[in-house]
Order: sequence, then structure tokens, then C-alpha cells
Amino acid sequence: MAKGVKQTFISRSNRLLAMLLVLGLGAAMCRLGYLQIFKADVLQQKAVDQQLSDTTISAQRGTIYDVNGKVLATSASVWRVVIAPVYLTTDEHRQLVADGLAEILDMESETIFEKAQQSSYYVEIKRQIESDVREEVLAFSQQLSDQYGINGNAVYLLDDYKRYYPYKNLASSVIGFTGSDDQGLDGVEYQYNDILTGTPGRLVTATNAHGTALPFQYSQNIEAVDGSSLVLTIDETIQSIVEKYMQQGIEEHKVINRGVCIIMDVDTGAVRAMASVGGYDLNDPFTLDAESQAQIDALPEDERAQAKSAALSKMWRNKAVMDTYYPGSVFKMFTAAMAVEEGLVDENSSFYCDGGYEVAGELMHCHQRLGHGTQNFRQSILNSCNPAFMQIGELVQQEKFWQYYQAFGFSEKTGIDLPGEADDIFFSTDGSMGPVELATASFGQNFAVTPIQVATAVCAIANGGYIVQPHVVAQILDSDGNVTSTTSTEVKRQVISTETADLLCDILEENSTSGSGKNSYVPGYRVAGKTGTSEKKPASEDGIEDYIASFCGFAPANDPEVVCLVFFDTPKGNAYYGSQVAAPVFAQIMSEVMPYLQVATDYTEDELAALDKTAGTYMGMTVSEATAAAEEDGYTVTVKGGGETVLDQEPAAGTTIPQGGNVVLYTDTESATLQVEVPDFTGYDIMNVNWLASNSELNISITGVTDNAMCVASSQSIAPGTMVSPGTVVKVTFTGSGVSD
Amino acid sequence: MKHGSSLHAPDREYLRRYSAQAATGGGAKAPSEKRESMAKTRRKKNKFHLMSIGLGLDMPFCLLILVLLTIGIIMMFSASYPLAYTEDGDSYYYLKRQLIFAVVGVALMIGLSYVNYHTFYKLAKVLIVVSYAVLIVVLLIPSKTGIQRWIGVGPFTIQASEITKFCMIVFLAYWGTKYYDKMKYIKYSLVPGIILFGSTAVLLIMEPHYSCIVIVFLLTLIMLYLGGMPGKYFVAIGIFVGVCFVIALSTGLLGYAMTRMDGWGQALIYTTEEMWQTTWQTRNSLYAIGSGGLWGLGLGQSRQKYLYLPEPQNDFVFAIVCEELGLIGAGFILLLFGLLIWRGITMSQRAGDTFGKLLGCGLTAQVGLQVVLNILVITDWLPNTGISLPFFSYGGSSLIMLLAQMGIVLSISRTARIEKV
Repeated sequence: MAKGVKQTFISRSNRLLAMLLVLGLGAAMCRLGYLQIFKADVLQQKAVDQQLSDTTISAQRGTIYDVNGKVLATSASVWRVVIAPVYLTTDEHRQLVADGLAEILDMESETIFEKAQQSSYYVEIKRQIESDVREEVLAFSQQLSDQYGINGNAVYLLDDYKRYYPYKNLASSVIGFTGSDDQGLDGVEYQYNDILTGTPGRLVTATNAHGTALPFQYSQNIEAVDGSSLVLTIDETIQSIVEKYMQQGIEEHKVINRGVCIIMDVDTGAVRAMASVGGYDLNDPFTLDAESQAQIDALPEDERAQAKSAALSKMWRNKAVMDTYYPGSVFKMFTAAMAVEEGLVDENSSFYCDGGYEVAGELMHCHQRLGHGTQNFRQSILNSCNPAFMQIGELVQQEKFWQYYQAFGFSEKTGIDLPGEADDIFFSTDGSMGPVELATASFGQNFAVTPIQVATAVCAIANGGYIVQPHVVAQILDSDGNVTSTTSTEVKRQVISTETADLLCDILEENSTSGSGKNSYVPGYRVAGKTGTSEKKPASEDGIEDYIASFCGFAPANDPEVVCLVFFDTPKGNAYYGSQVAAPVFAQIMSEVMPYLQVATDYTEDELAALDKTAGTYMGMTVSEATAAAEEDGYTVTVKGGGETVLDQEPAAGTTIPQGGNVVLYTDTESATLQVEVPDFTGYDIMNVNWLASNSELNISITGVTDNAMCVASSQSIAPGTMVSPGTVVKVTFTGSGVSD
Repeated sequence: MKHGSSLHAPDREYLRRYSAQAATGGGAKAPSEKRESMAKTRRKKNKFHLMSIGLGLDMPFCLLILVLLTIGIIMMFSASYPLAYTEDGDSYYYLKRQLIFAVVGVALMIGLSYVNYHTFYKLAKVLIVVSYAVLIVVLLIPSKTGIQRWIGVGPFTIQASEITKFCMIVFLAYWGTKYYDKMKYIKYSLVPGIILFGSTAVLLIMEPHYSCIVIVFLLTLIMLYLGGMPGKYFVAIGIFVGVCFVIALSTGLLGYAMTRMDGWGQALIYTTEEMWQTTWQTRNSLYAIGSGGLWGLGLGQSRQKYLYLPEPQNDFVFAIVCEELGLIGAGFILLLFGLLIWRGITMSQRAGDTFGKLLGCGLTAQVGLQVVLNILVITDWLPNTGISLPFFSYGGSSLIMLLAQMGIVLSISRTARIEKV
């Protein structure tokens, strides 16, 4: 019995040992092996997911400079508000945070409350808050931890960037803007988004369960690489000049569909200014102008969103590259170039115009219904005579026309570094066309091209026949400001010979001086160019024909520097001809751009005689001395007041006024307050304008052609009725009438 | 005779025969005892000297204890310092205390190795009363968490079940020794076993402390098994448990129980937010174990100990061990535990008497069970309810209790007929 019990114990305790070792520890080992070998990857991944906190470090978006280094777009440091709801353990705390942040950030409390329900360390509440709001958020976070014992990391701030556009509307369609995630949405911002964006960095830290970084390990900091900066070819000064006069033109001619102006360096293709006026404030790109907004508000509610989006895209649209239009008579310079280049015409070729021309049984009129009679090649251009060009087109024929059309770059996108460039719309994709189509195409009608294509092709005429690549970005700078890439001039091909180009330059200069383009004339600068008036097809719903008034020219004609294309879409004022609407604006722009570009002046004798002079300093002199000095300078002198010494003068020293202009000398302080009313100069010819000005003791500065009584003042820089000091210089623009097209 | 003594006749008889063997000072033994022991046990004689504490001790067993204790303290420190730093600003908070407990525990272990383990034979009935007493007392102590497992004694807390487990082993060893020849009768084996386990289990359910029920159940089974309960009763128990399991499974009660028991087995499955939070500890334990892979992240390199795994110094310390030392390291430690169990049981098999055999095997088996169940808990195979890992988990009462129990085993080893290194 005892022995049996003993045996039983030995065998049973052995079995127990075996079970503990094999079943017990064996099972434990198997379980561990399963978890640590077969499930290791999955579990490790889950562990790493919760251990690593991955914070994105924003890269600063690159700056956009104009060609002179003026800042057009820049990113400034702002902040984003982030909450870590994991520290908010009760609904009471969540509500507290939601209410507090809602008030500071001007948001819905419920939205924040909902976000605070997550169990996470990173929930973004609002981006791009400014420093004043930041202070409030910090104070609130402090208050939370002081008063309620909420972890100080429950509400925190991270670096963020915001885009600023110091020049607001300037070049808006070229620069474009960025969205809430700092991504470029339009213009250069969109086109060069990858370059501007840089690479966001990542701060990967191993964190403990409270979300604070572990003291010493598993921290990987991938530095953010700030975006590269862009130097545009756009010149802020030229752009400003362009936008100022384009805006005036739009207002004066009641242009309803905006205007476009491109100024391009003829040799390099660098775009010095590109405007789709009126633009929009880049700092606030989603706000429409008051008028459009009012129209949308008047719509039924369900149509508003769509209408707003349509209005916005219209507002953002860069018409210079996205719109196509019938180039109209501007295209005649290319038709002429083809014919000359092919040797089909010379200066002595003559064309007859009796007011119309019949092609394939279809009679097409000239804008001059009475006809231009017999004219040589040069006169045909100067007259912008459609029948003459239909005849030139017939000489060129379809095949050559299509070849040159392609060679001038109209059949393909120019490849300018801006988004959304449109294709041309030609009669067919292979260049085939009927005789009527050829005839209309010869004077630029019934096919559509983009303004940038026209400007690029005109560059070829101005630079001796070379098609250059238009571009708006001159250089790319890395974040340290080193130049990493420079856009070099890319000559695509020579389309016409230098001789042909020179001949056309000569004719176009004459056109700007005395031909149909004479309203583009700028004294002292040899401008050359061609007007264009094209019908918009289809005509608008009211059946009234809409027009595009354009002018494309360059200066100086003997050694062209820049091409300037001016284009008004649907002027609804008194005039719609390119010669009346676009050419004067061209002249205004060039009159400021040429001096800015330091182009040497080249005046005719008459012009020299009438040239503006710079007023000297007469202050401090006695009245007699001052009068003598001013008369010596060629001015008419008016003395105000009874003093003996000149205390003040108008215009101020250094102001340019025409010779024979008024200089008003003040000898006492009372008379300095005297004011005169600016008369309405518009509609008067040069003699009457001068008389009116001297009557009012005002000075005038003249732009545009004034060579005959047909030329009348069309606009003035200071509105009629304004009270100004005597001697103030009013800029008056003259437009020749009697020129259509 | 029957009622002339506080001890029953078998008790007296037993003690008369064996008490001298393990007595202290055993230099000169009474001739009768010497003869008897020579005749009965053919035990190797050991010279026992006060200054040579190692004499008579089973050195392999003792060394395994000390090695495991050393590794355990190092790993507990590695696992606990981030928590200690966060909570107390002192990375060494748990280490310092555990070292003190270890020193006290080792001293107690050595001390108890001198004590004649038959003292516990005499105390067995007192101890089982103590066991019930602490289990009832713990239920009377209010608790914030709703879980009532601890009794505060001064600055320390003692887990009631630690005492219960020890008392059960002692009592069942006593029972098995006393009624070794009656164990084949149901009223001496199965019935008292069911009463003892059932009553204890009811009290443990009220705490609640499910994993301890499992331990107590297994310990009761082991002690009855070693004590000689006939195999047919085990078959009956097996069938009963099996039927219960099938019923629980088929009625969906098991799933409910798993959910109720701290989301047992559901750590990686998202069901409800509440359950996700409940299973947080087990889930992070699994993450830690999985992260270790085969080779581990290296000593001190655990990431999960950075506040992800709550209380990494306690029951879940082995998860951090797995993360830092990998399957290789964990396997090595399990091997050490295996050796300890093997040595403990084989040594106990050669103990001088039945009580020593039963007690030694029972105490060793408890360590083995704790190790196995602890690993099954941290790997989500058992409900997450307080089974500490011997030598590794932080805690004064459990460590001291454990080392004291090891002291008793060492005391038994002094009587064991086994080659001692």
C-alpha cells in the first residue's frame, strides 16, 4: 500500500513535471513564437503607428520677384491652430475648448466640439491665423491649463505660411494665387507650383503615450526644403503703366469684356508686362467685384453657386493666353510679309479698291465704302485696305498662306510658361480653305488666334524675322538666393528674311506716323504698328455686332525693343475702331514705357520746337529775376501776389511742361491758395486746347497726334471741373478722327 | 488516545517519525532517529554548520532562484523607469524598492530554509482559516475601482490571493499526507477538494480575480493528484469542465464572459470604444511582444514602456522583456524557469517525507503555473487579471512571499536525497 502510494506519487509528480514543462511552458513558448515571429510585422507596425508622431514641417513657398527684384508674391509666417483631443477627457472640457476657440477663431462651436471627440494628438482647427489671433489662442491655452487643469498641449499652434501679394491687382492673371493648402491655383503660381512649393519636411519623433517626444531616441528630422523663388520677366513699373492706361481705356470706351495688353522684348521673347484688365486682388481672389456680386445676388438661390463660379473663372481668366480672337487688320502685316518674302509684291505693286472686292461671287466691302482707288503696296497697308489684301492673299494662295501661318506660330501654342494656353481656330486642321476663306483670312477675319501668338509673331517682324519663345520667368533662385536656372532666349526659327522685316518695319512706322495707325504716334519715339478692328462672331444676342479693337506695334522702328499689343474686347462707347480705341492707349503706354526703357529720343524739328521743357527753380529769386529766368527758359510767366520775392512756383522745379507753358510765381502766401478750374479739353483741337489752357493758367502735356484739325483731344489726366493750382500740368491725349480700322 | 491530544493520531505518528530529520542543528542525532532515518531514507549525510548556509541546500535550485531574481530585477527596472520618471520624477523608484524587497525576501528565504518545514504541517489548519479570513476581509475593504484584491498593511498592500494560494498548498499537502491512505475514497479526496476550491472560488469571484481561480483550481487538482486521488475522479472533473465549456460555447456564454472579463481575447479587435480602452493594456502588451520579434530591440530599447503599456513593472513586465530581448531572450528565461521547475520537483520527489514531497512539488508547481498563466495573460489567452510573474513583477508582498516559499522548498531540499552541487 505504502509502496503503491509512493510509486503513484513518483509517476504522478513526473507527469506533473512533464505537463508543466511541455504543456505549460511549451504552450507559452508557442504563443510567444507565434506572436514574435508570425505576427511580429503586423504588431510592430501597429506599435510604430502609435509610437511615431509624424509632424509635417511646412516648407516656405518661394517668392515671386519682378525683373528688378520687387516682391510680387511672398509667403509670410502665420500659424495654424491644432488641438489634441486626447487630453480632453470629458465633454465639459471639450465644450470649453470648442466655445473658447469658436469665439477666438470666429468658427462654429459645434464643428470644433465634433472634432474634439476624436482620440488623437493632431486635429487641425484653423489655418493661417495672424499673430494677433495667435496671442489670443496662446492666452486661451494658458487659461485652460491654469483654470481647468487641461494639459497645455491640448490646444497648440504650429507654423504655417500665408501668401501675400503686395501689389494686389497688379499682373493678377500672370501671377495667379494659391489655395488654402498653399498650392498654386492659377498663373505662375500654378505653372511653377512644384518649384515654388519646395519639399515639406517631416519631423518623425517617437513619442510616449502622452504625445511628448521621447528624450533621446527615434527622432528623425527631415528638413523642409524651402521652395525656389522666381524672377519674372515682368517689370512692375511697365506693368503698372500698362494697367493704368488699360483701365482708363476700358472706362473711356465702356469696354465690357476687359482688355489685354502684352509688352514683349522683341529679341528675347521676355514678357515685360501682361495684363488682363481689370484684374482682381490676389490677396482675396474669391471675392467678385461689387457689380458682379450684385448680379449674382439677384439670381435665384440655386443658380448662384454656378453663376459665382462662372464669374470667378471669368475674372481669373488670363485673356492674353486663354482667349482667341479674330486678329483683324493687325494680321495684314503678316499677309504683307508673306507676299514680300515670296517676292509676289514689291513697293510698286498696285492694288485697286472701289470699296469692295468680289471673291467667288461674294462681294466683300472695304471699311472705306468709297474705295481707296489705286494704291501701291505701301499705301494699301497705310489705308488698311481690305480689297487690296484680298488681292494680296490671292497672290499668296492657300498653300503658302498656310505655310506662313504655321511658320509665324499661329497653328501651335506658343508654349509660354503660363497655364491654359488656347489653341488657334483655323478653317481646317490641314490648312485647306476655299477662296472666300482665304480672302477673309488675308485681312485677319474668320479665324481666331491668341493675343500671345500675335505678339510673338509681331516680334518676328520687329526683330528681323525670328520667332522667339515667349516666357514670363527669367530666373529660378534657390532658397538661398542663388540662381539655379536662367531662361535663355530660344529662337525657334526664322520665318521671314531680315530685308522683308525691315521693309515692313519701315511701312509700319509710316503707318503709325501718318497712316491708319497714326493715333499710336508718340513724339520722339519711332513707333510702328498696325490697327485692327475685328468683328466678334457670333454677334451677341441683341444682334448688335460686337468688336474687338486692337493695336499691335513696336518701337523704336529702326531698332525695335518692345512689341506692345493692346486689345479691348467689346468696347461699347462711341468708338470701336482699333485706331480710335486701342491705338491711343498704345501711344499713352509707349510714351511712358519708352523713357523708362531709356530709349534714345529722335524728334523731328517741329517736335523739338514744341518739346516740353523742364521747369527751373525760381523760388528765392526776386520777381524780376525770376520772371527773366522763366522767360529765358521759354515760359509765359504769371505773377501772383504783391511780394518782391518768389515764395513758391507752379509747376514745381523739375516738372516738364510744353514750351510756352505757364509758370506761376507766388510772392505771398495768400495767393498760393488760389485755385483754378480744369476745363473740359475733350473734343477740341490742339490750338483750342492750348488757348483753353493758357486761359485757365494751366499747362498741358500732349500725347497722340496733333498734326491737323482732325485730331482732337480725347481724354485728359485731370477730370474737368477739378480745382487745381494754376500752372498744374494736365496731360491731354489727342486722337485723330477720320481713321477707321 | 483519540482525543487525548490536540493532534490526531496520524499527525502525532507522522511528526514523531519525521520531525527530527529536518530539525535544526542536526549535528548529533538521537541514535533511534539516526537509525530510523538511515533505514528509511538512506539519506546522504550532511554536516550542517551555522556559518555554512549552503550546506544541505540544493545549490542548483538556489542558484536558479538567484539568477532569475537578478534578471528579473534588471528587466523590471528596464521596464519601469520611464513610468517611474513620469510619475515620481525618479527613474529608480521601483528599482530601489524592489531591491529592498529582494534583500528582505532573500534573507527570509535563507531564514526559512533553516526552519523545519513541518512547522507548516502543524499550522496547516490555522493557515486555511487565515486564507478564508483574508479573502473575506478583502471584500470588506472599500475599493475605488470596484476590484477588491488587496489588503493594506501599513505602507504595503498584500494581494489576498497570494496568501490563499500558499495556504491552499500547505493545507492540501497536509491533507494528502494525513490521509495518504484514504485518498482513494471520494469523501477524503474529491469532496474536500470541491468544498475547498468551491468556497475559495466563490470568494475570488466576488473580488473578482478570475485568473487566481484558475490557479487555485489547478493547484487543487495538482495537490489532489499528487496526493493520490484516483484517476477516475479526474476523468469526471475533466468531463464536467468539458461539458461546461461546450455549454458556455454553444449558448454564447463564453463570448459574453470573455467580454465581461476585461475583454479577454479581444485586444486587437475594435468593438466599442469602452472595450478598446479596457483592452488597452493587453493590446499594448501584444504590440510590445510582437515588436520584439526574434532578436528583440535590445536591452533598454523598449518603446512600449514609454507609457503605452500601463504598469509595465507589474504583471506585464514580461511583455517588455519580450520586446527588448526578443523570442530568444524570452525563451532563455523560460528555459531558466523550466530548469527551476524541473529541479524543484525532482528534488521534492526525493524529499524526506510525504509532506515535504507534496509541499515542495506544490510550491514549485505554483511558480510554474504562475509563469505559464502570466504569459498566457500577457498574450491575451487568459483574462487580464493580476497574475504576477515570479521574480520579475514588481511588488513587495508577492516577491517576499515568493522568496519565502522558495525558502520552504530549500528547507525541504536539506532533507532531499539528491546530488547537491
